[in-house]
Amino acid sequence: MTTTLHPRPEAASAAPRRSPGRRLASPRRLGGGSLTRHVALGCLVIILGFLTIYPLGMLLYGSFHSTPPGVAGEFNLDGYRAIFTASNALVLVNTIGISLAKTIPSLLMAILLAWIIARTDTPFRGALEVLITLPFFIPPILTAMAWGMLGNEQVGLINMAWRWLSGSDNALVDIYSYGGVVWHMCQYSVPFLFLFIVDAFRAMDPSLEESSRMCGASRWTTFRRVTLVLMLPVLTSSFILSFIRGVESFESALFFGTPAGIKVITTEIYEAINHRAVPDYQYATALSFAILMLMFVLVIWQWRLLRGRSFQTVTGKGYRPSVTELGRWKWVTFAVCVLFFVVTVVLPVGQLFLGSFFQFFGFYGWDMLTLDHYRAVWSNREVWRAFGNTLFLGLTGATVTMILGAVVAYISVRTRWRGRLLIDALAWLPWMMPGMVLGVGFLWAFAMLPGPITIYGTIWALLLAYITLGTPIATRVMSGSYHQLAYDLEECSRVHGASWLQTFWRVIVALSWPAFAVGWILTFFGIMRELSASILLYSAGSEVLSVVLLKMWTNGLAEQVSVIGLIMMLMVIVFRWVHLRLLKKRLSTL
Amino acid sequence: MSSVSIRDVRRDYGSFVAVDGISLTVESGEFVTLLGPSGCGKTTTLRMIAGLEKNTGGTIRIGETLVSDASANLFLAPERRKLGMVFQSYAIWPHMSVFDNVAYPLRIRRRSGGEIDDRVRQALRMVEMEAFADRPAPALSGGQQQRVAIARALVFEPEVLLLDEPLSNLDARLRTQMGDEFRQLQQRLGITTIYVTHDQSEAMALSDRIVVMKSGNILQIGAPESIYHRPLSREVATFFGDPNLIEADVRDCRQLSADVFALDVEGPGWSGECRAAVAVSSGSKVTIVVRPESLRVGDAAGEGPALEWTGTVSQSIFRGSHRSIVIDTPGHSLNAETSSLANPSIGNQVTVSAPAAAVWALAAG
Repeated sequence: MTTTLHPRPEAASAAPRRSPGRRLASPRRLGGGSLTRHVALGCLVIILGFLTIYPLGMLLYGSFHSTPPGVAGEFNLDGYRAIFTASNALVLVNTIGISLAKTIPSLLMAILLAWIIARTDTPFRGALEVLITLPFFIPPILTAMAWGMLGNEQVGLINMAWRWLSGSDNALVDIYSYGGVVWHMCQYSVPFLFLFIVDAFRAMDPSLEESSRMCGASRWTTFRRVTLVLMLPVLTSSFILSFIRGVESFESALFFGTPAGIKVITTEIYEAINHRAVPDYQYATALSFAILMLMFVLVIWQWRLLRGRSFQTVTGKGYRPSVTELGRWKWVTFAVCVLFFVVTVVLPVGQLFLGSFFQFFGFYGWDMLTLDHYRAVWSNREVWRAFGNTLFLGLTGATVTMILGAVVAYISVRTRWRGRLLIDALAWLPWMMPGMVLGVGFLWAFAMLPGPITIYGTIWALLLAYITLGTPIATRVMSGSYHQLAYDLEECSRVHGASWLQTFWRVIVALSWPAFAVGWILTFFGIMRELSASILLYSAGSEVLSVVLLKMWTNGLAEQVSVIGLIMMLMVIVFRWVHLRLLKKRLSTL
Repeated sequence: MSSVSIRDVRRDYGSFVAVDGISLTVESGEFVTLLGPSGCGKTTTLRMIAGLEKNTGGTIRIGETLVSDASANLFLAPERRKLGMVFQSYAIWPHMSVFDNVAYPLRIRRRSGGEIDDRVRQALRMVEMEAFADRPAPALSGGQQQRVAIARALVFEPEVLLLDEPLSNLDARLRTQMGDEFRQLQQRLGITTIYVTHDQSEAMALSDRIVVMKSGNILQIGAPESIYHRPLSREVATFFGDPNLIEADVRDCRQLSADVFALDVEGPGWSGECRAAVAVSSGSKVTIVVRPESLRVGDAAGEGPALEWTGTVSQSIFRGSHRSIVIDTPGHSLNAETSSLANPSIGNQVTVSAPAAAVWALAAG
């Protein structure tokens, strides 16, 4: 499951290798004629180039341009001069520090949870696994708002309970702080890391550990010196990935950092464009380009570190990992998992639920009960429009992204066409572009388009951004599925009389559609939760739910926000359920 | 049924030569095995015949049809070559039932529903898998998958059947059984068959002719008996079993028949008569090949001229069906096989001999 969640360029090289002769021998030359091939490749390069290279190039262009997009100006280095300041040094330290501060405890927690789920006899592990991965699929903006209410110094539920219990007048927690930012990020990092690690725990050959025990090592020594060391590649790669996502993240710092004066790079870019009297595009663009360079270095570092190291731990052979019998302790581990679920899902969702039924959140008396917020949301045209927009973008965006990803993955995995490496690289490029940076890039890109083509200010601007952001994941999911299909299955069909097209339809499509569906749902999730690019690219009429939520929250409509949040939660749970069903079905047929 | 003929076929991967210009003709109804160690080009050759790979040189003909001609840049797509093929992994499509897998080639050819039904049932009956028609394909064992793959390859009555190590994924007992069954089926249908394997006993048991390959070249083509008993080179000799290879000097040579010569050879402390494929002038060096099972321990070789060595027994290993012993003679040591009832004690002086007809000489170099 984890292997299909996130793009990992290395995995392509870790895929099953065949002997040199046979590897070259696959059906690549059996594709269509060379003219169709060149036309198809050319189209793909143009599409992918427009989605990735063009906004990147415009980003560089914009960082030298003294005025906002579309306004005549001169070229200078003011933007870059402006980013080298003491306050920006603090921003950089904040960004890296916060990301490290959330990644390390998250990794430890994820290892603990993965061990509990995969290697102990804790009761109801199957259900627990579904529960503790759920937070990953909830849009961060929802939990951010819920925690904003829960952890409010004056009227937050946690502090109210604390005052009632202890009788003190002071608040226990203040969510608007460094701690708050890290805390909120951790809720996403733990399930993310867990998804990566748990299959590695599960797929480990038990004899490796048993032999350590036979050599006289204790259970704990074995865990430290064999299990963990064997998992080091997985742990390192997931650590770096989680760190990168920390640097890219926007919501946590926006909600909990900005009010407390804590700035990170993404919020700094956002503020330069949206919250200054005169938006400073050159500064924001230069900063975007700088963070892009930082991401580039990180991704290259990750690549080098993991090159040649196989961490494709999910094997076809079903090892039965040795399960530790915990005795009475199994209820402790059970409680740990349940507690995690309660804190990350039940508390915030409960808060949304509670908030939606009271006049003002924080004042929970019988006389304050009301359905007014539901009525207000129901009659709010803007919300309905945003709902429609989100649904349209989700359905269209996920479909287009997956088709693009399926084609790119097919060419890069199953053909030997010249140019496939270029296509592959182009499709990977967005992986190191934070949504915020891509948003800035597209602002410039759309403004610089020749006259009659207007994309900026329409819903298509968002669609293009979402497709770009989703392409790496879509490609990863599809190439994972193609790698699993033996070349024989395709060749056998050709020898027995089927043409290339018949083979593609009857064998490749028939076998890989579950992966397509799984990727579709992941992309849909991604679009529903997206905020950082949307907030830059929306305009009146093309708002999406996350943008509307943020606007309402800023206007103090926390109660109505809760109502919308609950509706989104419902959608998340339905889609996640379908997702799990598909995964299960796919695993049982292949 | 069609013959298959390949002329000067080669396949280069950049500077690496996988198949180095080989020629071969498989007669209609014949069972020919391509045999060799991994990387010898046998699978590449098969895949070029199938059309899954383009030959970079030479021509391939199936029946009267020229299917591939590198110099004319002519390549018939695999689906138009009317072949049946069994893959090493069987390539049973996991999303289809047994019936659908076998019906696939017929459905692609748009045959009527009734005909598909009849022919699939018939093909499944032939491999004794009729009862499994509605099973989902992943629910089959290795042997059953192999039968389905054979049924699928035969269902549309192809011109030629290609098999790429079809038995290598089965366990030893099943391998022998499936091999025997398959040979019977092939002889009954009389279908032209090209079979690829690295297993020499499989090749000998199944084939009309064996093509021994190494490093992209053909070393020898011939019936199993002739390849085994009359190899043309050391490589071919050592590929089958573990023969004794002994250097010797030729004293005399005379012709027995068109392609058999009798040689009088001698080595340190022994001499005698053997056979060779070519005339060798006296005084030159040869390598003689003696298979362990041709050596007799203790008594004389019986009728006719023979070779004899004397030495001491240095090893004796009981193997159930026979006993392997090693005899140290002045020049070299000899591996021999003897009855499992005999038990020569280590250190004993023994005489071993082989009839001239069972000893084959190879010209040195």
